[in-house]
Amino acid sequence: MKLARPISARLLPFWIGLSLAIMLFAMQDGGYQGLGRRRYYYQPGPNVPSEFYWSRLQYTSSYAGGSSYGYRGFRGGWSRDYPKADNDCLIALRRLTRINSTSPLNVVDLDSDHVFDYPWIYAVSVNNWTFTDEEAKRLHDYLLKGGFLMVDDFHGTDDWEHFMAGMRMVLPDRPVEDLKDNDEIYHVLYDIDEKFQIPSEVYVNTGRTYEKDGYVPKWRAIRNDHGRIMVAICANMHLGDAWEWADSPEYPEKFSGLAFRIVLNYITYAMTH
Amino acid sequence: MFEFFLKYPRSVYSRGQFALLGAWPKWMLALLILSAAAGLALLVRSRLPRAAPVMRGWRAWVIWGLQTLMAALLLVLLWQPAITVAELKPQQNIIAVLVDDSRSMAISDNGSTRQAQAVKALQNGVLASLNRSFQTRLYRVDDVPARIDSLSDSRPSAPSTRLGDSLKQLSDETSDLPIGALVLLSDGADNSGGIAADAINALRARHIPVHTVGFGRERAEHDVELDDAVIAPRALAGSRLAARITLHQRGYAGARVTLSVRDITSGPAAGQAKILASRSIELGPDGNLRTETLMFDIGGAGARTLQIAAASLPGEENTANNTVTRVVNVGSEPRRILYVEGEPRWEYKFIRQAEEDDRMVQIASMVRTSANKIYRQGIADPKELAGGFPSRPEDLFAYQGLIVGSVEAGYFTPGQWELIREFVDRRGGGLLLLGGQFALADGGWNASSLIDLLPASLPTRAGTFHRDADPKAGTTHATAELAPAGVDSIITRLVDDPAANAAKWKKLPYLMDYEDPGTPKPGAAVLVNTITPEGRKLPLLITENFGRGRTAIMATGGSWRWQMSSPVGDTAHDLFWQQLLRWLVSDTPGPVAASVPAQMLLDNGAVTLTADVRDRQYNPAADAKVEAHILGPSGVSALVEMTPVPDSPGQFQAAWSAPRTGAYLTEVTAQRADPTTGTVQEIGRDVLTFQRMDGVAENFHTEQNRGLLERLAAQTGGQYWKPADLPKLAVAIPYSEAGVTVRETKDLWDLPLVFLVLLLLRFSEWWLRRSWGIV
Repeated sequence: MKLARPISARLLPFWIGLSLAIMLFAMQDGGYQGLGRRRYYYQPGPNVPSEFYWSRLQYTSSYAGGSSYGYRGFRGGWSRDYPKADNDCLIALRRLTRINSTSPLNVVDLDSDHVFDYPWIYAVSVNNWTFTDEEAKRLHDYLLKGGFLMVDDFHGTDDWEHFMAGMRMVLPDRPVEDLKDNDEIYHVLYDIDEKFQIPSEVYVNTGRTYEKDGYVPKWRAIRNDHGRIMVAICANMHLGDAWEWADSPEYPEKFSGLAFRIVLNYITYAMTH
Repeated sequence: MFEFFLKYPRSVYSRGQFALLGAWPKWMLALLILSAAAGLALLVRSRLPRAAPVMRGWRAWVIWGLQTLMAALLLVLLWQPAITVAELKPQQNIIAVLVDDSRSMAISDNGSTRQAQAVKALQNGVLASLNRSFQTRLYRVDDVPARIDSLSDSRPSAPSTRLGDSLKQLSDETSDLPIGALVLLSDGADNSGGIAADAINALRARHIPVHTVGFGRERAEHDVELDDAVIAPRALAGSRLAARITLHQRGYAGARVTLSVRDITSGPAAGQAKILASRSIELGPDGNLRTETLMFDIGGAGARTLQIAAASLPGEENTANNTVTRVVNVGSEPRRILYVEGEPRWEYKFIRQAEEDDRMVQIASMVRTSANKIYRQGIADPKELAGGFPSRPEDLFAYQGLIVGSVEAGYFTPGQWELIREFVDRRGGGLLLLGGQFALADGGWNASSLIDLLPASLPTRAGTFHRDADPKAGTTHATAELAPAGVDSIITRLVDDPAANAAKWKKLPYLMDYEDPGTPKPGAAVLVNTITPEGRKLPLLITENFGRGRTAIMATGGSWRWQMSSPVGDTAHDLFWQQLLRWLVSDTPGPVAASVPAQMLLDNGAVTLTADVRDRQYNPAADAKVEAHILGPSGVSALVEMTPVPDSPGQFQAAWSAPRTGAYLTEVTAQRADPTTGTVQEIGRDVLTFQRMDGVAENFHTEQNRGLLERLAAQTGGQYWKPADLPKLAVAIPYSEAGVTVRETKDLWDLPLVFLVLLLLRFSEWWLRRSWGIV
C-alpha cells in the first residue's frame, strides 16, 4: 500500500505562504476584522449614490509602519480599525444628522483624481503615511480647492514628526495651530466645551489613556487663507477605536460619546465651511 | 404725368371726396349697368350658333366683357362724376415755411450744405409762387420755432433738433391764425427719438397738413455709427457688467473695427482714461444693425462715466458718431442674502466658499443639521434667524435675496409662503431655488401656493431629482451646456470671448446631480441646460422677472464638482456663483428708489426725478416728505422738494432743469413722522447720477431720416417732397382743410384718362378680333 508522501521540508515555505495568502484573502472578503479579535462582518449594502461618502484615505506605509512598510494594500497602516470603526461612525451620522449618507463605506486613493469627488476624507496612523510628489500635490490641490482631511490615531513625538514629514510635502508653509474650545468646529452641531484624551481599546486592560509619550491630547488644525480648517488633527488619541468599541461593555461610554460628537461636528463643519 | 391724365394734382384725389352729380338716383345707374350686361350677354348667346367656329367658346365672352365695361363706363359718365375738395381761399391764408437750422443741416452733401440747398430751393421760385396766393411766414426750427424775416437769418448752428416739440409749439402759438399748411425743410435728424403723438394730434386737430422736404443723403458712403450702448445704470462695487453695443456701418463690410469701453471719470485724455474692455469685430453687411456685448469690471464705488467707442476707420465721413457716453452709479453698500438649506450638503459649502471673495454680497444662512437643529452662519447678531425662517415682513425684507436649497415646501408655513411671494413681488427681492432631494417637485413645491412665482411649471410627479453621478460605480454623468439665451448673459459669462465662453461651459466637469425643473414659463429665460446621462436636455438655470423682483431655478445641488474637479486657480465655479448671486440682489431696491427717465440729458437739461418710497414692510409710504439734493458742475446745488404723484401712492416726482453740461449727483431722502411719538424718522435714501451733454446728439443719425419725414407728412395729410419736385409744391398746397377754405367741385367726366380708357376698350376688341382672324 502506497502511503502519501510526507510534505517535503523544501516545500514547507511555499505551503505556509499559500495558507497565509488564502487567509488574507478570506479576511478581505466581507471585511473580516483582525486576528485574535471578535469577528465582524461588514455588509456593504447596495451601492447607492449619496451626498456624503465616508471616505478613508489609502496610502503607502513608510518604514515607521513596521511590518506594513511599503505596503499599500489591505492591512496597510491606513486600514486600521476598518471597517467597523468607519461603519459605526456612519451609522451615527445617519441617525443623528440630516446628512444624506446612504452610500456604503468608501476608500479613496491619492493615485487618481477620483479623490476630488469626495470632499471629506479620514486617515489614520498617519505617522506611517508616505507620498510621492504627485500624490502630495494632489492632496495639496484637494485641500486648497475645498476638501477636508481628518487625521487620527498617532501618538507621541516620533509619530508627530513622521506625520508632519508627510504634511510638509502637502502643505509646506501652512502653520499648525491648537484649536480652542470656542472654535466653531466644536459648536457647529454639538457644543463640545469639554474635551479629553480618547484612548484606544488598550485602555480597557491598562487604564492608560496615552500611548508612547503622547500624554496630552492635541486638538489641532491647519487652515486656509480664509481661516477655514482644511486639516483637522487628532493627535495622541484614537477616535477610531472609540467608535469601534462603542458597543463594548468594557470600553467607557464617555470616550465613545465624545468621539462620536467630535467626528459629527467635523463632518458638519466640513460640509458648511 | 399724373396731372396730364388726371387733370388735377395728387392731393386733390387724396383729400377729396368722390361724388355723382347726376339727378337720377344711383340705383338706376346700377340697374342700367346690370341691364346692359344682361342684354349684351343675350345678344352674344343668340348669335353664337351663327358665329365663326373660333368664336363659339370663351372668346365670345371676352368680347362680351369688353363691351360691358365700355357700356358701364359710358353710363357712369352720364351720371356726371366729380370730386369735391376743400381749397384754401387765395390771399386769406398763411403758409408757414420752416427751415431746420440744427447743426446737422451744416453737413455738406454734393458741394453745399443741406441748409444752403434748402434756402436755394425756396429762393428758386417756390417762395415766390406761394406768395402769389398766400401770405408766407418764415421760421427756423431746432428745439423751438423762431420766426425770421429773411432766409439769411437761418444758420445751421443749433446743437439739437426737436421737430415734434417745435411743431406743437408752433401749432399752439398760431392757434388764432389761418395757417393753411406747413412746409418743413429738414434732414429729419430729430434728437428726441421721434415725433410725439401729442404734436401730431395738435396738427391733426387743426387739419394742418405738413409738407416735408427732405435734404441730405439718405445713405452715407463710409461711416460706422454706434446706435446705442446699454449698460446697467446701477451696480455693486466690483461688479462685472455688460455693455450691449448696437452699431451699423456703410461702406466697410468685412472690415475689422475695435470696440472699447473706457472709464473716463477722471477725464477723457489718454493718461486719465482707463480701458476696461476692448474687442475687435468684423463688420457685417451695409446698414444691418448689429449688437455686440463687452464684459468689464466696473471697479470701486462712486459715479462712473464710461465712454463706449468704435475706433475710427480710414476715410470715415463722420467720426463723431463713433462714441457714446454712459454713467453708472456704483454702490458700496453690501447686499445680504438669506440662504435656507434643508440638509448639510456640499453645494451649500461651496456656494458659501465662492462668496468669501465677494465683499459686496454677504450670505446669512441657516441649515438644518439634524431633525431639530438649525446652524446659522454669517449672521450679524446672535438674534438674527434665532427663531428660524422669518415670519415677519420686516425681518425677511431686510435681505435683498433669498436662496432656498434642499428644503421641503412643507417646512414653511402658509404665512411664510405668502411672505416669500411678497418678498419678490412687493419688496423686489431675488429668489433662487436650488435642486436637491427635498427641492422643487420632489420637495412638494409643485403643490405650494408659490407655483406662479417660479420661472418654470414644475413636474407634477416626484422622483425628479437624480443622483446619477456615482464615481465609485463609474456611471455616466450629467453635464451643463450653455443655452442660446445664456450666450450674452452676465451670469454665465465665464470668459470674455463668447466662443471661448461656450467652449468653457462644455469643458466644465460633470454635475454630481440634477433635477428636472419642468417646463420654463413664457417670459422666462433658460440660460443653461443639463444634458442628462441619457442625452436628454433639461433646463438647468432659468431666470425670470416677477413683480418688482426676480426669480431663478438652478436645478442641481452638484455644481460643486466644477470647483473640486477643476485645476487649482480655475475660477469658473466661483465666478458663476458670484455673478448669479449678484444678479439676484443687484437690482433689489431699498426703501427709497430714485430714478430718472434717461441718465443722459442731450441738449436739454429738463429732467423729471421720480422716487418710489416704501416703509419697512415695503408698503407705499404716501405720507413721506421727500427731498432731492442735487450737486452739479461748477458749484451747482439745489434742494428740490418732491411731490406725490396722484393715484400712485408712494410715488414722488419733481421737475428740474440742469443748467450746465456735466455730471449731476442727486441724493433723495425720505422722512416721515412716527405716528406714536410724532418724531420725524428717516425712511431711507438713494443716490442717482445723470449727465447733461450738449451738441452730441446732432452727430448721430446724420443721414436723411426720410422715414420720419414721410410719416410726419402722411399722418398730417401732407406730402413728402424731394427738392427736385419742389416747384410743384405751390400747386398741391391749396388743397387743405385748415385755415380759410372753400369747398370746390371738380368734374371728372372730361378727364383725359377716361377718353383714353374708352379708346383702349374699343381698340382691344378690334385687336382681339383681328388676331383671332374674324375681322
